[in-house]
Amino acid sequence: MEQIKASSLTVGYGNPIISDATFQLDAGEIIALIGPNGAGKSTILKTITRQLKKISGNVAIAGKDANGISENELAKKLSMVMTERVHPELMTCFEVVATGRYPYTGRLGLLTAEDRKKVSDAISLVGAEDVSGKDFMKISDGQRQRVMLARAIAQEPDIMILDEPTSFLDIQYKIDILSVIRKLAKEQNIAVLMSIHELEFVPAIADKVIGICDGRIFKIGTPTEIFTGENLESMYRMNPGTGENLVQGLLAYSKSLPL
Amino acid sequence: MDNKKRYYVIKFLVMTILLLAIFVLSIGMGSAEIGVSQIIKSLFNSGDDYLAKIIISIRLPRILAAVILGGALSISGFLLQVFFGNPIAGPYVLGISSGAKLVVALAMVYLLGQGMVISSFGMVLCAFVGSLLSMAFVMLLAGKVRNMSLLVVCGVMIGYICSAITEFIIAFADDTNIVNLHNWSLGSFSGISWEHVGISTIIIVIAIFFSFFMSKPIGAYQLGENYARNMGVNIKALRIVLIMLSSILSATVTAFAGPISFVGIAVPHIMRSIMRTSKPIVMIPACFLGGAVITLVCDGIARTAFAPTELSISAVTAILLAPVVIYLLVKRKEAGHGTN
Repeated sequence: MEQIKASSLTVGYGNPIISDATFQLDAGEIIALIGPNGAGKSTILKTITRQLKKISGNVAIAGKDANGISENELAKKLSMVMTERVHPELMTCFEVVATGRYPYTGRLGLLTAEDRKKVSDAISLVGAEDVSGKDFMKISDGQRQRVMLARAIAQEPDIMILDEPTSFLDIQYKIDILSVIRKLAKEQNIAVLMSIHELEFVPAIADKVIGICDGRIFKIGTPTEIFTGENLESMYRMNPGTGENLVQGLLAYSKSLPL
Repeated sequence: MDNKKRYYVIKFLVMTILLLAIFVLSIGMGSAEIGVSQIIKSLFNSGDDYLAKIIISIRLPRILAAVILGGALSISGFLLQVFFGNPIAGPYVLGISSGAKLVVALAMVYLLGQGMVISSFGMVLCAFVGSLLSMAFVMLLAGKVRNMSLLVVCGVMIGYICSAITEFIIAFADDTNIVNLHNWSLGSFSGISWEHVGISTIIIVIAIFFSFFMSKPIGAYQLGENYARNMGVNIKALRIVLIMLSSILSATVTAFAGPISFVGIAVPHIMRSIMRTSKPIVMIPACFLGGAVITLVCDGIARTAFAPTELSISAVTAILLAPVVIYLLVKRKEAGHGTN
């Protein structure tokens, strides 16, 4: 079932950064969005999460035009983890994760026993039980990223949009976060669209890859289709002949990952 | 979790008892010392007529005003802090109180010139317009100045400019009524009438009621605009509501008691430290109680410290609360939030 369908989507801040993007994300599928810095990965993600107005084209969420979906309805369908840092004051990690229950709670936002259980489950799923009662501002970056992922899970979405979920984390945290994402997609049938810079993880985690560069979608395909020397050379403007070795290295590394 | 709730309840109870105690004490304190038994007698209308008159028509409205307006000011500060996503915000330091003061002074002097007296509602309305004008200016600056500390400096400057113009207006308008205007323009609860208390109670109760029922989206907004939107909050509507509520609350205060310094910025901080949370559902009632207690104490000092000479309330609140603001600024810098 298609969860996101973008057709001829043009996005940007006033001026188009990516034009005429057409792609589709199905339930249970993980798509990795790759491309050089500043190519427009985040811009696409921000447009889909409605932080940014699209310039033209269409986005459909679960077969419905995104413009016709109310805020609350969208919140129940789609959750996100962005790169921006949050500075919640005097909030425990449990309370941060509990904000994911927002679309489901009543007028005053009080949690029911069921909400609490779902929050605890989300915390266990990402393995953050040990920091649950701690102040969010007093834990490490890696733990924060887990908590933010748990927050997105607690929102019980059909779609998750993740902007560089593994950046700035050590190798074990990267592997942990990616295995949780994989589990969510495969076990709970959640559709995941994520941008990622670490190409070496992409073949292990993604079902499909969207490569973007030069203001458009360069290619869409399976990791094996996209990861060729030639493709990487043109996407990242590498010296001719250097791509093939890199691809071999990436694929070998990816196979070695416990994902 | 239940432990946490119990602590909240205990802290609320302690603050309520403290407020009641200071309330009764304040009625007794002043240029005429009145004992507790006398207070009770007067309230039930069987005491000394002269003292009863002092209590009923002078002290009681003043004390009630300090409670209600002090609480309102703190909530206004809390809402502004949510709006700017920063604890270094308040109606006084951002120049919003002074904007309100300027418009009220203009209206008063103009109407006095026409031989008319401005009504209480008129004063609130003028203060509200002034608040919104200052707020609009601050927001215009906020678009250009991303650094909150710098924005506060700009706000203080706006405050100075508005106060200076108010001084000019008061100096040039010669009228015996102006003497009162001068006291008011420095911030004072003296001369507050039952009518003022009644009107501010109505406005403030409604505004606080709305604020309390906005706790849920306000709480979501504390995680940042983008996450709040993703949770289903209508950001534009929430921002407008936050500005309107904080402006109407601080405008009501300024209309009747003039600009009161630092309560709006310091009390929410003190309450966060006491309650150990920033959840609006706890913070809104806590700010009301805390603001009421602190303002009542400060007004007590203002009218008794050098009696029969009165200090302006802002002189007292500045001495007690400005250090809290300095502490906040320094702490934020240390924690690496200097650029926010």
